[in-house]
Amino acid sequence: MFSSTFLFCDHLTGERASWLAAVIGAAVGRCPAGNPGRVNIFLTADALFSLVDARARPAWAALSGLPSVQVIADADELRLQGLSLPGSTWTPGARVTGTGDRGSFWGELVSTLEREWGGTKTAAFLLCSSPYMSRVPVYMLRFLAQAVEAGLHPELYCYLDGVHTLHDGQRPSEFENIGRGVSALAGTAVHSCRDPWFAACSRCATARGYYQMNPGTGFCEPASCIQDIAIRNLKEILARFPDRHPVASHASGESVPTENEKEGAPHLVVFITNPPYGTEWTFGGISLAIAAAAEGIPTRVVFIEDGVYALYGTHEVPENDRIFNIQEMIEATTDIDGLSYFVHAPSLDDRGIDRKGGFPAARGSRTRN
Amino acid sequence: MEANEAKDFTELTCTNLMIRLKILLNKVSQGDVVTFYATREQVDNTCSPFSRQGYQVSWTQTAENRYLVRIGR
Repeated sequence: MFSSTFLFCDHLTGERASWLAAVIGAAVGRCPAGNPGRVNIFLTADALFSLVDARARPAWAALSGLPSVQVIADADELRLQGLSLPGSTWTPGARVTGTGDRGSFWGELVSTLEREWGGTKTAAFLLCSSPYMSRVPVYMLRFLAQAVEAGLHPELYCYLDGVHTLHDGQRPSEFENIGRGVSALAGTAVHSCRDPWFAACSRCATARGYYQMNPGTGFCEPASCIQDIAIRNLKEILARFPDRHPVASHASGESVPTENEKEGAPHLVVFITNPPYGTEWTFGGISLAIAAAAEGIPTRVVFIEDGVYALYGTHEVPENDRIFNIQEMIEATTDIDGLSYFVHAPSLDDRGIDRKGGFPAARGSRTRN
Repeated sequence: MEANEAKDFTELTCTNLMIRLKILLNKVSQGDVVTFYATREQVDNTCSPFSRQGYQVSWTQTAENRYLVRIGR
C-alpha cells in the first residue's frame, strides 16, 4: 500500500493529465482489494485551468472516479482565475479548499504531507523558477510558512532560475517581495525554534553572477545576495534528499510506502518534459539526476512529453558552442550505478516519432508504454 | 598521444566535470590521453576515481589550486 501527494502549480496539459491518470490508475489497480492506497492531488495557479479544459477533463473524470483519489483545488486561485464556481464543466469529485482563508490550501497540503511522512520534522521546497516572472516563489513562501506554523523545519533548495531568489535589494512595486519574504520566513522559523536550511546551487548561482571569484583569496564569494540563503554545491543540497521528509516543487509528487512495505532510501524520478536545448530544464534535470545517483540516491530519468525530443535524431553541437550534447551526456552516464533512463512510448507516438529502430544516440534508454 | 589541447575545466562542478570526462574518454582510442586543468577538489573528487575504472590518472600542480591532469586509457 502507498500514499501519494502531488502538487501542480504550472499549466497542466491534457497530455500530462492523461499519463498522470494512467500512472495513478495503474498504481491503485495494483493495490490489494480493500486497501487501495491514498492519492491526493493539489492544484493551484495555472494548473487549475486543467479542470475545465475539455482536453484534460476525461483524465480528471477517470481520476475522480477512483475512490482513493482526492483532487483538491485552491479556492483563492480559483477566484483569481475566474473559475470560482463548480458547474457543469467542473471535474466531478474535485474539492475546493481555502475559501476565505489564504493559508488553508497550503495548510492542508502541509498537514497531508506531515501525515503521509509520519514523524517528519522537516518540509522542503525545490524552487526552480525566478521571482516575478513566475509566481511559484510566492507559493514556495506560502508552503514553507505553513510548514513553520505546523512546527516543521523549513528547507529551501534553489536550483536553475530559482537562484534569483538570492538577489539582494529586490523592490517590486506590484508584487510580493520574495527576497524579503524569505528573510521574514527565516526569522519566523528561528523565533519558533525551528532551523531553516535555505540553499542555492553554486553552479546555478555562479552562472547568474551571484557567486564570484575574489582574486585576493582565490575563493568564490556571494555577490549581491541576501544572507538567509547559503550558496552550496548541488552535492550538499542533494545530501538532504535521503532524509525522510517531503520535498515539494511546482510540479511534483511523492509516493510514500506505508504498512508492509520495505523501507529503503527514497528514490528519485526526474521527468524531462521540455525540448533539449531551448531552456536549461533538460540539462538541469539530467545533471541533477546524475548528481543524485552519484550521491547514492536511486534515480530514474523519464523522457516524456516534449522531453522525448532529447532522444530524437543525432545531435551535433557546433564547434564554437559550449553547450553539452544531451545525447552524449546520456550515453556517457548509462553505466552509473543507480541511474536509469526511460522514454514514455505514448509521447513518442503522439509526436509521430518512430520507435522501431530504438535510439542509437541514447543507447542506454528503455522504452515504456 | 594527447587527444586534445589542455582545456580549462576548473569552473565545472564535480558532476559536470565527471560527465565531460566520460564523454571525452568515450571518444579516445587506446593509448590516447585527455589533458585538462582542474582544481584540487576536482582532482580528489572526480579525476582520481577514474583510476578505479581502468584509466591511468596523473596530475602536476601548475599554480595555487590549479593542476594539469592527464587521463588515459
